[in-house]
Amino acid sequence: MKTLTPLADIHVPDVLRDQTYTTSCMNQQFSFQGLKALLGAADYSKAGERNAGLAASSETAREAARGILSRLTLQHLYDHPLTNEQGSVDSVMRVNYDVDGDAFATLSTMTAGELKNHLLRSPESEVERAGSALTGVMASAVAKLCDVHELILIARKVSRPTTARTLLGAPGRLSSRLQPNHPTDDIRGITLLCYLGLSLGSGDALIGVNPAVDTVESVSSLLYHLDGLRRRIGAPTQICVLAHIKTQLSCLERGAPVEILFQSLAGTESTNLLEFDISVDLLDRGYRRMAENGPLKGKAEQFMYFETGQGSELTYGRHSGIDMTTTEALCYGLARRYDPFMVNNVTGFIGPETHCDSFEMILSNLQDHFMGKLLGLPMGMAPCYTLHSNITLEGQQMATELLTAAGANYYMDVALNTDRMLAYFDTSGHDDQTLRETHGRLPASEFLEWAVSRHIFSRGTQGEVTRGPHWGDPTQFCDSEAEFNELLCATPAVPSFKSAGPRPADEVQREMRVNQAIGREAIHAELQIDELEKITSFRVIETEAADQEAHLNSPKLGSRLAASSLDRLSPEDCQVQILVSDGLSAEAVHHNANDLLPVILDGLKGRTVSTGQPLLARYGRVKLAEPVAERLEANVIVHLIGERPGGDALASRSLSAYLVYRLTDPSVRTAASQFSGNEDVRFEVTVISNIYSGGLPALEAGGVIVERVSDILAHQAAGNRLESLLESEADRQEGGDAQ
Amino acid sequence: MTAEVKLVGLDFGTTTSSAVIASAQLTRNAVTAKTDLTGIQEVYRSEMVFTPLIDNRLDETALAQYVDGWLASGEVNPEEVFGGGALLTGLTAQQVNASAVVRTIRRQLRNALIATADDPSLESWLAFMGSCAGMSRTQTEVPIVNLDIGGGTTNLALGLAGNVLRTGCLYVGARHIEVIPGSYRIRRLSRYAQELLAELRIVKGVGNCLTESEVNAVLTFYVTLLTAAIEGTADLAESRAARLHKVIPLSIPHGLDNVIVTVSGGVGALIYSHLSGESWPSTTCYGDLGIDLARMLLSSKWAECFRNFVPHSAGRATVYGLLRHNTEVSGGTLFLPNPDCLPLTDLPILGVIASDSTDEDIENLTSLLQKARHGACVRIELLTDDGPSVRSLAERLSGTLKARRFPTEQPLVLLVTENVGKVLGNYITEWGALPLNLVVVDEITVRHAQYVRIGRLHKQVVPVSFYGLHDQGDAHEDADAAR
Repeated sequence: MKTLTPLADIHVPDVLRDQTYTTSCMNQQFSFQGLKALLGAADYSKAGERNAGLAASSETAREAARGILSRLTLQHLYDHPLTNEQGSVDSVMRVNYDVDGDAFATLSTMTAGELKNHLLRSPESEVERAGSALTGVMASAVAKLCDVHELILIARKVSRPTTARTLLGAPGRLSSRLQPNHPTDDIRGITLLCYLGLSLGSGDALIGVNPAVDTVESVSSLLYHLDGLRRRIGAPTQICVLAHIKTQLSCLERGAPVEILFQSLAGTESTNLLEFDISVDLLDRGYRRMAENGPLKGKAEQFMYFETGQGSELTYGRHSGIDMTTTEALCYGLARRYDPFMVNNVTGFIGPETHCDSFEMILSNLQDHFMGKLLGLPMGMAPCYTLHSNITLEGQQMATELLTAAGANYYMDVALNTDRMLAYFDTSGHDDQTLRETHGRLPASEFLEWAVSRHIFSRGTQGEVTRGPHWGDPTQFCDSEAEFNELLCATPAVPSFKSAGPRPADEVQREMRVNQAIGREAIHAELQIDELEKITSFRVIETEAADQEAHLNSPKLGSRLAASSLDRLSPEDCQVQILVSDGLSAEAVHHNANDLLPVILDGLKGRTVSTGQPLLARYGRVKLAEPVAERLEANVIVHLIGERPGGDALASRSLSAYLVYRLTDPSVRTAASQFSGNEDVRFEVTVISNIYSGGLPALEAGGVIVERVSDILAHQAAGNRLESLLESEADRQEGGDAQ
Repeated sequence: MTAEVKLVGLDFGTTTSSAVIASAQLTRNAVTAKTDLTGIQEVYRSEMVFTPLIDNRLDETALAQYVDGWLASGEVNPEEVFGGGALLTGLTAQQVNASAVVRTIRRQLRNALIATADDPSLESWLAFMGSCAGMSRTQTEVPIVNLDIGGGTTNLALGLAGNVLRTGCLYVGARHIEVIPGSYRIRRLSRYAQELLAELRIVKGVGNCLTESEVNAVLTFYVTLLTAAIEGTADLAESRAARLHKVIPLSIPHGLDNVIVTVSGGVGALIYSHLSGESWPSTTCYGDLGIDLARMLLSSKWAECFRNFVPHSAGRATVYGLLRHNTEVSGGTLFLPNPDCLPLTDLPILGVIASDSTDEDIENLTSLLQKARHGACVRIELLTDDGPSVRSLAERLSGTLKARRFPTEQPLVLLVTENVGKVLGNYITEWGALPLNLVVVDEITVRHAQYVRIGRLHKQVVPVSFYGLHDQGDAHEDADAAR
């Protein structure tokens, strides 16, 4: 077990005033106020940096910034810790200063540019030594100076093997984390996806489920199920349920097999504390608990697993003016403290507000892999995308080819690239095997032996490993066809298991791709206002998003009313207002409004709830309900909005109803504040989602919405507080019945 | 969302009785919001006991003790039982005090699930579902006939692609002729056996010993009757005794080829045990002709089927059917403004109101419903589930209920296959303005049955069980039409 340096014992230089960095180029002057601005400008232009105002104003300006950065010494970077909004050093930055002082002493006079040259010229051992001397900021600075070849070349010098039941990251190996997520944690679906992945030779790094429900009971149940499955099949790997660290520690306390402890990390303390509900102290406790009580104690040398990705701090507005690449590097500085078994980068997951296209995503992934490896981490990569960005499957595949060349330790195996719970697209088991064959890699040796014994792989007379007769056949793990069929019934988005070489068969590809195409079209469809007016007469309002591109790239714009609409709306004496907006799928509105709206209008009228003329907003986001509620002084806004499409073509027509309750009464607001722990709470929200023909049909959803609005008005509460009140009411009734 | 529940299956057959208790999860699909029973795990399986009889009556005290013992051994409180059922089957259902026993069991189980007797079509359906539903679902093109051969009756079911299409019942069973174990000396004859021996000109009664040829003659009659039922060749078995042995004829459609035959019940268990390598038990060790019937079936034309197609559960098919298939789960958005009105048991299903029903049809059925003071049920059939159709039907029904001043306290349950429960109920009650004790249960496959039981609300859903099943012939036509 690694000794964790107490935070107070980590030396961080005093904060200095921001320095102005200036340079000239062809008689043009460039000036950058402070290190944060310099680092931001020195990076490739990415949507996140542009939205944050950190991107360089021109290509020349970027090169100017890079020129300055390359001439800064490591000592200068050391002496200028980046600060939070309050101007102080946060705990994440502090942990980043827990470096090898002796190694740093030998490098401190080098400039960032000289360090890059040094890394390019040095063998692996020196690159590793140098990495131990660096903070995240220094790693980020070097990454910004590297081109694609350099990001690959330096990273591939470093192998970061880690050991649990399997040895990951050894030279010549390419592993995978099986990610059998299911929208309802249905163990049948999870089981089938495990079987499929294992049959593809995936899962040697981990079988890890992202749970739909983050409770101790549910997570424990999944852990026991995965443990039983792994033992029955005999695959040498480890299991994990990627719940919040607190949930996992509670599961561990109750004896559940928490073999690997997971947590998502961010690069600023405020994001970790206020959004992820974690602190360095909590992570320290988790690490120690696992070292002392983890089921793999004595077997595993490492047992922590972290997930990171560029842009989370920015999305939450808690990046403290630091660019995405640097905050990502700061995550790695934090992760390094716990000598993790796996670090998993999911840059691309958030959406176009951080990475708008494949190019931006690929570059960020290469930077992340480079920085992680340099800082001593076992980097697994998950170049991924959502359909509302312009990142494509081809872009994702290019990223994986480059990252494999750079020596990534592992990828995800999300069956047929489609995550059934998280509505995003990641690497698949077919991709992993394709990359192994293209780049001459093998799974971890212990796992490979098992897979050879199951004829998933075959070993030739010369020791060469090829796909075996059972490769890609998930039925091999079932006792009967009936059992297999039961598992299949519970698993969405699996059209077939046919393969062609290491790839899914073409007919399978075609079906998956057409689903994605339909999803993308739904996102880019424009709201057909004239058609919707035939259902009922709307008041059409505008948001600050002037066009679709602005709408998709900046969620804030669609959350605000345009000035012209603000002027047109004034307080009305109505309890409820209905707002319809496209959100991320205008098609969802087109396909549901016809059945849904008349029922809502009939129902509210039938229950004598006063309602204004419905509003219709193009380019709206969920939060748009709040300014509308305040402007019209409505008690409740019924906001009908298109959901983000995933990998199911039909689900691209899925609508949500956000029932937004405006808290005006002081006593109600106090109750809401006490319930949520948020003193500034102004709204409570009840969500009814999956309104479409494959989920909750629009007609029935109308009835559900009317009943929920009635509940909200009757109980003066929405969201979890309403559910809690309704549950208490039901318990009281049951208690009364029992008496 | 998942919630753990308990399921109980109790089977009181002609010869033996048994119980199985299982835990299961109510798993709500996050996409469709439909809740299903998943992860059914057997937590307790009783020993098979002889169904206790005293002087041709069921021994109510002994039965009640068994039930208490089983529930205690399975560590289950009646309050936590979500579904399953208790069934008196075969000749047990014909005992004079069968109804009293049913009432006792209902009391013991605190009305938590259905308890019924003499429901041969339900038995056939359950046995098929309990033994070979999985096999049938995987071999969707192959018709399967399951023979559930118990002590008193054989319940037949023809299924295709996991659905039972037709059911039948014969008084063919192991225990019509009871003998002293180890011999063929007659200890007791059912009235069906008496008729059969007379027709076969075997002049033997209690105390006499049957010869090998006489036993063979009896068994040949049984196998002929079964073969006629399976093949739909009525002329094979049209004697007086044959007619007497038919409870519900299984009318197999013509042109059905390559039928697979499976066997469940006690005789089925004997057949599959032997095929798996067990030796036959000693002569008449159970005091009946079950072993001999099993041996004869294994030398019949169906033997090859028995070897090649082994059902999921032979010996306890009915109880597994009760456990796994007898309880449906409603949709998650049912219309239930007053959950306290549940459970509703023994609700007669009085008819159908469809989108194309005339006003007179609706009026007539409503009149019938109004006479059922303890509540009744109606099936709703929507031709389309678009807004105008649902609204129109709801408004017509609402208008009739209003005009007839339908009693406000009288339970009225509507069953509908589509996911429209809440909206249908709201339009019928004019969004709560019309006072009615109305329940609309949606997303239910409505079976052809006389009665339905709607259990208590649990995690936004209710368990629904049907009983008093009609012959499944109509279902076959439905399936044909669907294909």
